[in-house]
Amino acid sequence: MEETISLKELFTVLKKRFMLIVSFAVIAVLLAGLYSFLIVTPMYQSTTQLLVNQEQTEAANVQVSDIQANLQLINTYSGIIKSPAILEQVSTQLDNELTVAQLNSKITVANEQNSQLVNVTIEDEDPYKAAEIANLTAEVFQTEIVELMNVNNVNILSPAVVSDNQSPVSPQPFLNMAIALVVGLMIGVGLSFLLEYLDNSVKTEEDIEKVLDLPLLGVINTMDNKDVPNQLHLQKKSVGSRSEQYGS
Amino acid sequence: MAAKKNKGSNQHMRNLIAHANPKAVAAEQYRTIRTNIQFSAVDQEIQTIVVTSSGAGEGKSTTAANMAIVFAQAGKRTLLVDADMRKPTVHYTFSLINSRGLSNILTRQNRLEEVVEESGIEKLQVLTSGIIPPNPSELLDSRSMDQFIQQARESYDVVIFDAPPVLAVTDAQVLASRCDGTILVVRSRVADKEKAVKAKEQLLAVKTKILGVILNDKKVEAGDDYYYYYGE
Repeated sequence: MEETISLKELFTVLKKRFMLIVSFAVIAVLLAGLYSFLIVTPMYQSTTQLLVNQEQTEAANVQVSDIQANLQLINTYSGIIKSPAILEQVSTQLDNELTVAQLNSKITVANEQNSQLVNVTIEDEDPYKAAEIANLTAEVFQTEIVELMNVNNVNILSPAVVSDNQSPVSPQPFLNMAIALVVGLMIGVGLSFLLEYLDNSVKTEEDIEKVLDLPLLGVINTMDNKDVPNQLHLQKKSVGSRSEQYGS
Repeated sequence: MAAKKNKGSNQHMRNLIAHANPKAVAAEQYRTIRTNIQFSAVDQEIQTIVVTSSGAGEGKSTTAANMAIVFAQAGKRTLLVDADMRKPTVHYTFSLINSRGLSNILTRQNRLEEVVEESGIEKLQVLTSGIIPPNPSELLDSRSMDQFIQQARESYDVVIFDAPPVLAVTDAQVLASRCDGTILVVRSRVADKEKAVKAKEQLLAVKTKILGVILNDKKVEAGDDYYYYYGE
């Protein structure tokens, strides 16, 4: 069925289902708030920063290939940190509290753009635990890399520390609630248009023109009861013969 | 006999606003409809009008009664006939006793002038349905119906028939085929689009002239207030 919808009609629909849309948004925000504040365990993050210091053969002119090599080196290091070779040792030093796979899921390795810095970030429910694992991983990596790559060019630049009142990185209640608000609004709007589309009743003059293709003789508005006096003053005349007897 | 489904009570809406409050917006709207009907026929005078709708409870009786009133107010000798011999209501509207009426005329028990009643409104007379017969469709399709219409045409300027719904029973089709024009009452937010189209097709099938549609019970939207009474 071919439909042309004007902007005005869209606004009319939105206005009509305003309460529906608002209630969907409010419910979504409330659910997101409940979920974020009460259900999800907060997670904390700790980061150890490593410095990869490539030995410079000739300090004077840095070639493009050198930069390329550095980047490759750092990418390699990122892989090594997350490899079982390192993580198994970390796991052992943590008294096998966490398996390699669990550790792997907690660790994020990222190198900062165009630099020789590598960030090892750990996420955990306990901020102290997160810092401990981060530092342990960095230390193990620092010692292991000497053996693995025959270089001693990794320094721990800044170990992970737990600051006072560290705020959890997830959940982010306000972000979640904002997302929920948007999603709730979208569902509400979508539902209102669906309801409008499913409502198959004739409503306006335009409907009659479009659907029935008959001339419109007139429109009677919903009658207001205040327009109608309770008592109708119909003077009854006697039932007469056909000759008209008109009153008053 | 086909039963009409009752879509809730609209008894409080069944009022004679055109008479009770001629300055009301709705009364003005009925007068507009009267004008439109008068102008809708250029080549043929519209004297007998059937008021019907696709389903029950769309406001046929209210519309028919108020239209009869505005025609009478225009100085036309008007007869309102309750042709709904299954669920008659016109006698309630005008507080009449429905002891004798259309069914009595069609079964040749009485003559029109014996059973027609005054409405209490100048120039408007009312014919109630009479005792509910077992075969309303057959009565409406009879030769005595033709004779009745012929007589009504001679005695009145305008004859308005309050008919049953089109989709429920065939009565409205039978009536429409004998009258000059048919008006389809469509109740806003209630009438189904497809049913309205079906009703239109059924009316066209009997070759009646559909004068047009009355959109009934339209919700007043903010911004539509140009329907205020102009004279005040």
